[in-house]
Amino acid sequence: MAAKKAKPKRVKPAPAPKAAPALADGLAETAWRQADAALAEALADLDEVAAAANDAARADALAMLAQSLSRAARKRGLDRIGELGAREAFNKQRHDLIAASAKAPQGVLIRARGVARGGEVLLRARVTPLRRKR
Amino acid sequence: MSDWTLCIDFGTAYSKAAVAPTGAWSSFDPSRVRPLMLGAHDPRGDPFLLQSVVFVDEESVRFGRAAAERAEELSGAGRVALRSFKTLLSVGDLDRGLNTSAPKSIDPKRQFKMRDLIVLYLAYLLAAIERAKAADPLLAETKPALRYAAPDWSGGESASMHAVVTRLFAGADAFRLAAGDQLLAPEGLAISAIKEALPKAFSDAPPLAMALIFEATAAAAYTSIGLDSNATHLIVVDVGAGTTDITALARSSGRMSELAQARETLKQAGDFIDRVIANRIVALDGRARTVEKQTELWRALMHEVRDVKETLCATGKVTFRHQGRALTLSLRDLERDADFRAFIAAMTKAYDRGLATACGAAGKKGEVLAVAVGGGASAPFVQALLRRKPSGANARVAPRPAVPDWAHAPEFQGNLAPVFSQLAIAIGGALAPDDMLAAR
Repeated sequence: MAAKKAKPKRVKPAPAPKAAPALADGLAETAWRQADAALAEALADLDEVAAAANDAARADALAMLAQSLSRAARKRGLDRIGELGAREAFNKQRHDLIAASAKAPQGVLIRARGVARGGEVLLRARVTPLRRKR
Repeated sequence: MSDWTLCIDFGTAYSKAAVAPTGAWSSFDPSRVRPLMLGAHDPRGDPFLLQSVVFVDEESVRFGRAAAERAEELSGAGRVALRSFKTLLSVGDLDRGLNTSAPKSIDPKRQFKMRDLIVLYLAYLLAAIERAKAADPLLAETKPALRYAAPDWSGGESASMHAVVTRLFAGADAFRLAAGDQLLAPEGLAISAIKEALPKAFSDAPPLAMALIFEATAAAAYTSIGLDSNATHLIVVDVGAGTTDITALARSSGRMSELAQARETLKQAGDFIDRVIANRIVALDGRARTVEKQTELWRALMHEVRDVKETLCATGKVTFRHQGRALTLSLRDLERDADFRAFIAAMTKAYDRGLATACGAAGKKGEVLAVAVGGGASAPFVQALLRRKPSGANARVAPRPAVPDWAHAPEFQGNLAPVFSQLAIAIGGALAPDDMLAAR
């Protein structure tokens, strides 16, 4: 009787060395990794806002949520445009008019700041027209 | 002459490296700036940073994150890792400093001199650089010209200090070749193998061609490259971890020279601000009345103090949560702190003196670029300094942003700017023309 052929031993292939990501990917990975951590915090903070037992606890939880979101934004290189409550000359590249106006106003009031990344405006600041003094 | 230039920023907490085309200064293309991903193979670390840490274990020596983690495991046994060894390179008698034995808490059997441990770390750093370079398709086959960035060694010691540091790097490179890939393994290198190879590597090491660039000059390079400015002078505020350095530089025919009389070094900087912030927050917590409770809060704060400080500086306030309580500190609260006010006053005075010197040298129609570097560069109180006008001088002062405009180039997809301040000195050192070098 022929000897049973020994099964060839399965050799587990050596894991391929992990290639380092390209520079742009590496930069993005760094930014996202830090932003992800802040976003994860923000989600937990959001639950705490919803579950807050009283106004003081809600205010604290909201402060933490704002902080986590703003940290995530910074890690992704986002900047805010303008200052809340500031009065500026209307610029349709930077301002989004949220109140009805028959024609483009000269001056506007910033109701919510816009967001930019580098030179690119991602979200225009939300503005309302300034009323002219009578 | 190599087509590429590589600069190492051997940092107190982290080391970084960047590569740029050798002719970048005369024809600048931001997309060809290559920060090296020294930590890309560690999924838990920052791809661009390598921790400056060495740990002497029972039978091996570990480096980087592995060293920091091992030190944490054994902290209860009184063991510590060697950190901040960059500061050793600034001591007056460098040779003597390098020949001293490491303290027992770092090396219980007193087997190594400080020189040995620094050479071992540099070998690890050079191995990480080689690995990062090999993984970059643009750089894999290149042999860049080497530079390292260092603080200005004043008192005319630069040439001799440079010779010592170059020898350390040469020994490290020879040891790297002897040790191979094991240098980068988390388990580190066997002490027996080190003892066998290190003395030979150090004594037989061929000279290594390496140039020195001062950190302030590197800052000047990344700030002014590609800028349409005729500014002949710069004032640089470097808020590091341990010191705040104010340096004024003059540029003439491409060459940078320091205005020695403008140099000011303050012993307070980032670490000092961290402590002030932690003290203020501890003081805010009415429930932490006992020393034990305050110490507990202090420790929790110091663990996250970088994030706390960054948020405070970026948004004007920070909320820290501890044991269910939310403690909010505003920038105004910080500015009311007596120690902090004294620091700002000293920094302002030092800056004004430096600015007066730079403006005086620039002359009536001259222009001075003002820039801040280091971890505290974008803090509002540092940026406020850069907007100060010189008293009694007619030179124009142009504050420059902590992150130069070119770092927002589309090629980086917006992702270089958030990490730029950490990599700035290595990048500036690689971009600077040869005329700006302090020693070769």
